[in-house]
Amino acid sequence: MPAAGRTYWLTEPCRIRREDNSVRIERHDGTPVHLPITDIRDLVAFDHIDINTSALSLLNRHGVTLHVLDHYGNHAGHFAPAESMASASVIRRQVEISSNPAQRLDIGRSLLLTTAENLRWSLDTDLLDPALDALRAALPDCDTSDALMGQEGNFRRTAWAVLDTQLPPWLRLNGRTRRPPTNAGNAFISYLNSLVYARVLTALRSTPLHPAIGFLHSDTDRRRNTFALDLAEPFKPLFAERLLKRAAAQKHLKETDFETDVGRAALSKNGRKKIAALVKDELATTVYHRSLKRQVSYEKLIHLEALKIVRLCLEGTPYKPFRPWW
Amino acid sequence: MLVYDTAVERNPSVLKVCRQYLHWTQRSVFQGELSAAQYRALMHDLSTAIDPHHDSVVAYTTRSPDMVERATLGVALGGPGDII
Repeated sequence: MPAAGRTYWLTEPCRIRREDNSVRIERHDGTPVHLPITDIRDLVAFDHIDINTSALSLLNRHGVTLHVLDHYGNHAGHFAPAESMASASVIRRQVEISSNPAQRLDIGRSLLLTTAENLRWSLDTDLLDPALDALRAALPDCDTSDALMGQEGNFRRTAWAVLDTQLPPWLRLNGRTRRPPTNAGNAFISYLNSLVYARVLTALRSTPLHPAIGFLHSDTDRRRNTFALDLAEPFKPLFAERLLKRAAAQKHLKETDFETDVGRAALSKNGRKKIAALVKDELATTVYHRSLKRQVSYEKLIHLEALKIVRLCLEGTPYKPFRPWW
Repeated sequence: MLVYDTAVERNPSVLKVCRQYLHWTQRSVFQGELSAAQYRALMHDLSTAIDPHHDSVVAYTTRSPDMVERATLGVALGGPGDII
């Protein structure tokens, strides 16, 4: 796993090739770009890519994850390097914790409540307080993860309605829709959620934790990494809702950044670039971490979150999900 | 920042090593951020690629990227950044 390195955002159709034991990106227009392989932490592809075995094996050797997003911003999949951080004792504990209903629900509840509070924090309004109180009252009575997710759904619906009041009409969600998102606001949220999910997966690759053994989301959905979904929850308000609010307030997003059709919407080529730049800057933002006593970036916060679970597994340190303290 | 001046026949091998670690800026000039370990690895790889009696490689390092000011005239060559 590369210690340093950057995330590269591929916003245009391109071809990824291996050259000189390094990576060459070819686009339809313009000269090929050479990326130093040691500088790549992961690649996020927003558009069609073309890649071959020799490039993939090079990425694998250097522990680079490649995330692929589809046209509507759903996480279409990722190519991850072969397990290098595997540790049986951590995974065994993770499975034990996740199969113990009491512990599992405990973690699920705290994740949910923190997510709700983070959402309240990112929307910065009193309108959500009644919904938050209702959620607090309802959570102790939930004894299955489905019930928990139901409560989450209720809260989220209220929160999105509140978010709509802070957005210009063309960017309003009017109810969350996915696969495909029906309007510009939903498309934005879809993209951001997938990106947060991708960041969490990348962070999990640097720990021995297994991304599929989760606590909150039900694991009947066999094709998704439920644990990565769980850990992404508390971070979504920090990125998705807050960035949407900010981009709308600063008039950074234009209607032309989206390709809107009847009943479906996606980002345009220019919009993809804008979002990549937005997220990149946001991930690089640093805050002072009080117990580490130094500045850490948002990107690093996600990694620290994964390490908290490692400590829960190995040392039994109670897990307190991330909440913004600034 | 790294510059090299090597014999023609060894240019490609030096270029290949540099490309694994640094961004190409000009014909024999590279730049980029490396960790201490990566820097040592690069220097080691280069030392095996060059002929110490004929070639020369110079690397400039700074404590932090904030301490470098860069000005360019004419055509800006080199990478487009990390949004591609």
